[in-house]
Amino acid sequence: MTTIEDKIEESKKLGMQIVKESEDDRLMTLSVGPQHPGSGHFRFVIKVDGDYIVYCDPDPGYVHRGDEKMCEYRNVIQNIPHLERPVIHDSNNITYSYSLAVEELVGIEVPRRGQFIRAIASELNRQVYTLYWLAIYGIFLGHSTMFMWPAGDRELFIDLLEALTGARVTHAFNIPGGVRNDIPEGFKDRCLRNVGYFEKRLKEYEDIFYNNPLFRQRTEGVGILQKEDAIKLGVTGSVLRASGVPYDIRKVEPYDVYNEIDFNVQYMRTGDSFARSYVPFLDMKESCHIIRQLLDKMPKSGEVRAKLQPNPKGPPNEAYRRVESGRGALGYYVVSDGTPKPYRVKISVGSFRNILALPFLLVGSRMADMPSIYWSLNYWPVEADR
Amino acid sequence: MSTYPEKFRFGEFVGSIVWLVFIILILVTLIGLPLIFVVLFYAPLPPVGDQVLTPYLFLSMTVDPTRTLPIIKYFIHTDLFRIAAFPGFSYAALFAAVTIFVERKFLAKMQLRVGPLYAGKIEGIFQLLADGLKLVSKEIIVPSGADKPIFWAAPIAFVATAAAVTTLIPVAPGWVAANINVGLLAVFAILGFFPLIALLFSWASNSKYPFIGGLRALHQMIAFEIPFILSALSVVILAGSLNLTEIVNSQISSNWYILFLPISAFVFYISSLAELERIPFDLPEAESEIVAGWLTETSGMIYGLIQLGSYIKTYALAALFVVLFLGGWAGPVIFPAELTPGYTGVRIYNAITASAIFWFTIKTFGMIMLMLLPRGINPRIRIDILLHTGWYKLIVLAFINMFVALALVYGGILGPGGLLVR
Amino acid sequence: MEASDSGITNPDSKDTLTSSYPKPSAAASPAYSSSSLSTAAAFIRAIESGSKHLLIKRFTFRYPEQKLKFVGDGYQFDPKRGVGIAGYRGRHILYHDKCTGCQLCSIACEGIAEAIGMVKVDEKWDQNKKSIMPQIDYGKCVFCGLCVDACPFYALSMTNDYELSAFTKEHLIYTPAQLAIKPKYEGDVVLQVEDWKGSEGQDVTTTEGAKKGIRRGIKGASHGHV
Repeated sequence: MTTIEDKIEESKKLGMQIVKESEDDRLMTLSVGPQHPGSGHFRFVIKVDGDYIVYCDPDPGYVHRGDEKMCEYRNVIQNIPHLERPVIHDSNNITYSYSLAVEELVGIEVPRRGQFIRAIASELNRQVYTLYWLAIYGIFLGHSTMFMWPAGDRELFIDLLEALTGARVTHAFNIPGGVRNDIPEGFKDRCLRNVGYFEKRLKEYEDIFYNNPLFRQRTEGVGILQKEDAIKLGVTGSVLRASGVPYDIRKVEPYDVYNEIDFNVQYMRTGDSFARSYVPFLDMKESCHIIRQLLDKMPKSGEVRAKLQPNPKGPPNEAYRRVESGRGALGYYVVSDGTPKPYRVKISVGSFRNILALPFLLVGSRMADMPSIYWSLNYWPVEADR
Repeated sequence: MSTYPEKFRFGEFVGSIVWLVFIILILVTLIGLPLIFVVLFYAPLPPVGDQVLTPYLFLSMTVDPTRTLPIIKYFIHTDLFRIAAFPGFSYAALFAAVTIFVERKFLAKMQLRVGPLYAGKIEGIFQLLADGLKLVSKEIIVPSGADKPIFWAAPIAFVATAAAVTTLIPVAPGWVAANINVGLLAVFAILGFFPLIALLFSWASNSKYPFIGGLRALHQMIAFEIPFILSALSVVILAGSLNLTEIVNSQISSNWYILFLPISAFVFYISSLAELERIPFDLPEAESEIVAGWLTETSGMIYGLIQLGSYIKTYALAALFVVLFLGGWAGPVIFPAELTPGYTGVRIYNAITASAIFWFTIKTFGMIMLMLLPRGINPRIRIDILLHTGWYKLIVLAFINMFVALALVYGGILGPGGLLVR
Repeated sequence: MEASDSGITNPDSKDTLTSSYPKPSAAASPAYSSSSLSTAAAFIRAIESGSKHLLIKRFTFRYPEQKLKFVGDGYQFDPKRGVGIAGYRGRHILYHDKCTGCQLCSIACEGIAEAIGMVKVDEKWDQNKKSIMPQIDYGKCVFCGLCVDACPFYALSMTNDYELSAFTKEHLIYTPAQLAIKPKYEGDVVLQVEDWKGSEGQDVTTTEGAKKGIRRGIKGASHGHV
């Protein structure tokens, strides 16, 4: 038990350490903390020598709320509005793999039309999340127009999702057994219209942002992550695909109906910040094609939801399923002990894997490259802390 | 201002109004009247027309509207009016206010959104007033360990320096607050203060992020002053004088200099964007990297003063561009020669001056809009690319145009007695 | 950069300060060195793209005068078929002539937000022996709609109303009588875009126009076919 005198001694020692460091007169310690417009809900400490960063220490945990523990007090259906909160912008993907794991545990078969609707909602939500990420990327680099345009075009998809699920952002749409409601009338035409219009907007993004020489100068050749390093560090999602590894879970372990859809995995070989910012853009273009195919191949009628007892439970077992979300592989490991409430839920997120690359990439780069590297790692602080 | 309002009581309201009137009356009697008497007794009385302006004459003139014209005419031609109102501070501040509002609406239109909407009945026209009131009512937080005299003095010096630049710029023939023979050189001398103020303020803030921002501001502004001066030098070669009024007159007698010196105009434009710390050159204020750069510790009215100074500087540099390259007030006379035909009294209105002011305002406003445009299109630049551009590329371009200007003068096309000079 | 030996060095040890941290590699300096003509062309295209937007209609609309239109009447659930009917999840509406006071909605919400509590009401209904009905605290409700899914008697559904602000927290608790009123929501604006044209200039409001799409990449990207 530490007394107050011990605590004062301890802080004096720490204070002396910082003073000694600045006596050297070259290094400056900066806390890019939560109170910083360029960091999100996340803190990392950097030491700077002039304009170059020499040390970086990420410090996650600011938004930790014990989501995994709270899952044990709710039954399997009540967990859905709770579990979509870590990444609320991508809610159909984070509840997708939970639903898949629980279906494996309880032993439910999802009807085919329900699988298609789940995949459509997942793709639409992927667009929503990627556009939001792109908007913040723009504003981190000082491009206020690139903040407003994707945030505006996100409305096209949010409008569709609101017609489909009933809420703009907090969908709570996927449940174990399928989806909660069928698609409304006129949804298919509206969806095709919005997706077709969105492809025209993608051309504008290329003109004003991706082909803008100032943007290219700031991101090409910055923060290069080689292919072997990417595999060794265990990064996932668009960061991995930007370093030359064409890995997409929808192709590697296809879930639901993805083995019937024809699409290409988008990857780039350079591994710099520009590649990491361009691969999600290519993913968005590919998503438009996936949505069109899904709408075409969907069965004309059928059930969307499997019949369940009010408190679904299965034999004591464990299940692990993963899904490709906007940030990478998102896996759920669910253990049940025969009761309606799960015994343990472990969420394995892509953001926490990707942030491992941050110290390696920031050391040796300039301070001005900090937002461009940090946000291009596709890190969502709330999800990484859960 | 963010507390929950109490119930409104009419009696208390009336009571507060009565108190206000009472305090005003006391102040006027105890301080105002003696001050007026002192001024009127000891100040030398100016002659107006052919009479000496005594207080009695002043009061009788203000009562009868047809006889106030001589006073107005007298006051318009004093130095105080020129510095504080017309080509000086108030004109610049009016431009600054309109610029801030137009910038927000312009960027909003480019970004497919509405911008300020709710303050004021039409499209948020009172947004600036609302923002100003908000800034005045906020607490000014001075960080502990900050150097207080410099912390308070630097923003005031910022606005003062920006306003000092506006006194040198001629708006109409004969209408300039300070008609110096080396006017252009004086402008650059005053502009050289800004890096110093930025650095002093960032050092006085005693904090790490302002320190980084201040150093960036220093590097940026110093790096771009040289192409700035060099591009203006080509204009001086063509005009043959450093006096800004002379430069405009020589453009009136030949042609606008942007036709002969387009590269210099481009270099001047880019350098003025860098001097103003506008996007794409707003690294000293880079929000996602160094919080707010050297403005981090400003709050309340100090921030308001720095914004005001920044926008007055925008007007000053846009007006300088118009004077140097776009012909100042050159343009056809579009106002009628006499407002009421056959008027024989004291004249205030002059058709040439009025149309000069009109053309100058239009051109400056257009130039300011052109300066607002890159904000919607470009991201922020990085410091090594910035310094590379400023020290290498722009100086080379400025020199190229200077040789073009020399060739034009020595080839006899421009300059005294040239082919294109009327 | 090699992950194995670039790593995080400890700069607190004095003798390694200036030499231990990795110097920036060549890629960190401006590597963008294409010809100035293509740079100028790219800038002009960016300016053109930005200025084009000064002429097209704004995307946002002016909120209190223009409100978004919703299709349908709100989210409902059909207990016979076991599936929901798509609609907007706004404020709830409680049909007093169908509610039996079974508390299933309150039990469903206990694990989510604990926003529904059952209260005694003064009305006497045949199907509601205990005379209790749900009251919903909108300070806690997350509008997920699982209470609507739980009700087996068609008594609870949701409406299009989302303007629920109040000045005190107590005003946010809606009693069963307040929940019985059907709100009047008048929204009439849909998404405003300049023209519904796709990437090839085709009209995307027709089905065959909307099915056309483009696949395009940039120079320097390799697209995998895995």
